[in-house]
Amino acid sequence: MSEKKSRKTWQHPWSYREGTIVTVAIIVLGFALQIASGGTSFRLAGFPWNLVSGVIFLGFLVLLFWFLKKHAVIKWLGGVKAALPAIFGFTFLVLLMGFVKQDVQSKNMLVELLGMNHLVKTWPFILINFYLLILLGLVTLKRLTPFNLKNFGFFLNHFGLFLVLLSTALGSSDVKTLNMDCYEDQTEWRGRDLNGTMVELPIAIKLLDFNIEEFRPKLTIIDNKTGKILIEKNRQKFELLDRDAFDLFQYHLEVDTFYASSGRVGENYYPVNEPGSSPSARIKVTNLMDQSVAHGWVCSGSYAMQPAALKLNENHSLIMLPAEPKKFSSEVSILTKDGKSQTALIEVNKPFRINGWTIYQLGYNTEMGRWSDLSMLQLVRDPWLPAVYTGIFLMLAGAIFLFIFGKPKSGGTEHVA
Amino acid sequence: MWLNFPVFASVAILLWMAATGLFLFSASKILNRLAAGLSLSGTVVLLVFVIMLWWTIDRPPMRTLGETRLWYAIFLSGIGLASYFRWKYKWLVCYSLTLAMMFLSVNLNHPEAYDKTLMPALQSPWFVPHVIVYIFAYALLGASSLVAIRNIFVKSSGKTTSEPIHMADNLVYLGFSFLTLGLLFGALWAKEAWGHYWTWDPKETWAFITWMFYLIYIHYRFRNPLAHNKAMMILAAAFVILLICWYGVNYLPSAQNSVHVYTE
Ligand code: HEM
Repeated sequence: MSEKKSRKTWQHPWSYREGTIVTVAIIVLGFALQIASGGTSFRLAGFPWNLVSGVIFLGFLVLLFWFLKKHAVIKWLGGVKAALPAIFGFTFLVLLMGFVKQDVQSKNMLVELLGMNHLVKTWPFILINFYLLILLGLVTLKRLTPFNLKNFGFFLNHFGLFLVLLSTALGSSDVKTLNMDCYEDQTEWRGRDLNGTMVELPIAIKLLDFNIEEFRPKLTIIDNKTGKILIEKNRQKFELLDRDAFDLFQYHLEVDTFYASSGRVGENYYPVNEPGSSPSARIKVTNLMDQSVAHGWVCSGSYAMQPAALKLNENHSLIMLPAEPKKFSSEVSILTKDGKSQTALIEVNKPFRINGWTIYQLGYNTEMGRWSDLSMLQLVRDPWLPAVYTGIFLMLAGAIFLFIFGKPKSGGTEHVA
Repeated sequence: MWLNFPVFASVAILLWMAATGLFLFSASKILNRLAAGLSLSGTVVLLVFVIMLWWTIDRPPMRTLGETRLWYAIFLSGIGLASYFRWKYKWLVCYSLTLAMMFLSVNLNHPEAYDKTLMPALQSPWFVPHVIVYIFAYALLGASSLVAIRNIFVKSSGKTTSEPIHMADNLVYLGFSFLTLGLLFGALWAKEAWGHYWTWDPKETWAFITWMFYLIYIHYRFRNPLAHNKAMMILAAAFVILLICWYGVNYLPSAQNSVHVYTE
């Protein structure tokens, strides 16, 4: 590090010091703009202006490199001495995001003023991204000319990231996310966007059937006085009702009868399958401490049915927890403006794609659980996705390259500007 | 099933202790081979346990912090041994085994409730590769940081040799490639399950920060290949971030309600 003494700041060749100054200046400028703009969150123009600006940006980068690649500043921009401080600066902003809770109002004036609670939409974040894009673009061009197959891994990693960053930034304003509430046997063609405004869609959806598959319910012991679930160190606090006999705390449980869906008549439960019915089980509980036995029904209840607990003794009762969903899905009929009509099954992790829209299963009326007649769907349109995915796949290939070839043998110093 | 854990864990710990002892105090080739064999047996014992656990609870055992500790112990011991075969560094095996034993002991002291239910969003073909790749990356990067920390504190003669840093480089490049895969698998899965590939959920944010720190190491090493000490410092700092990402996120106020927070 002897250069530190011999070279003045801004005297070429630039080093980490200039890199740090530039990065800090960009972040400070960003925050200043953020304050000056009164904290309104930043939004890029939509199609076609984002595409136009993307093309202009690419042209600008190529021309800049073409005509000025010998210039000391351009050389420096394509090197690690500019890149490292920039990566650091970006990391710093993301670190802020890691500590300050995002997308909620903050009581702290400074947080609100600087936009630290919605950082990805603020000026400093956008400027640093822009700067990184310039650096990534220039270093990719530098390594592409003259072309050398040895730089293939480098190209995959850097151009892949370039593509992901550029297309997510430009595409962000074209992403449409709409939540649609569908009731059984009704046709819906409106959705609510993220600001809560109703929007009409070119797609109509009729919910034919909403289905939930549930896990078996869990059993647990509660304290009669507090009503709280019993917790003992080193003990399982509940058991899934998927076997005929098991132990829970100091009790041995034997399952006489289990109904996945039942109704209550008098003191007993009978299998029925109609809205509001609930799982129930008749269980024999032996207290392993004193061999006393309790025998009776437990039921998790539903919006239409009271839950039932089995009192074991003065202190404890056995209860059944509401069953958790294993799988939920909507059978829908979809109509598009161009006259297509289609039925589809939409499930969590299994969205359905039609005319550029992807339809996701989001939720249902949890109060009614299995008997919900409401299915909440989400429709997403992201026309820039193919570009983002191309970038992601380049980076995946780049990662495999790193895995196979590891660190460049020479330390790579021959490329250093 | 989890009740058998103390037996399996104790056997593994005993085998690993014996292996560490042999590695540390023996010079003969045969004894070293024996140590390697013991170390491997410990890993296999745990692997058998994990497979049986998977079988019994009928879902991938990757949901809780205790379960991830288990995988970490398996990978760490495996990586320690593999690097011993590759580079013949006994101290690295010993460190890795010690760390793995520590993770097992934590699990022994906090036996956890296991839960057979798995929410629908996690029932995806992406779940297993995403988690396995991540934990494997963490184990590799953890090992690289052991190299760094040892190098920072054990500068015996003052002169820098290049071997430790080469090992750190190798581990970082391997670990970083897995970290990248984990990150990208996560993005592809999120798109399929939630409709967007990146939402800056706190765990995603910290995973990204971790990734950036190793990225900084890689670039610094590339440009300043002779500044070993600073590189080792970056590596040590990166490990702190990695720990926050893996462990600390659960406790950060910014991370309440994250889908990624492990249940304990
Ligand atoms: C964040 C944006 C990034 C910037 C600004 C950046 C910049 C640079 C620069 C300037 C170099 C030196 C190239 C030279 O002097 O010829 C370099 C090298 C390198 N970068 Fe990046 N990089 C970035 C992201 C990445 C990513 C995402 C990866 C890997 C996944 C990566 C992996 C590497 C590797 C392995 C080298 C060593 C050189 C080689 O492979 O030949 N970089 N990077």
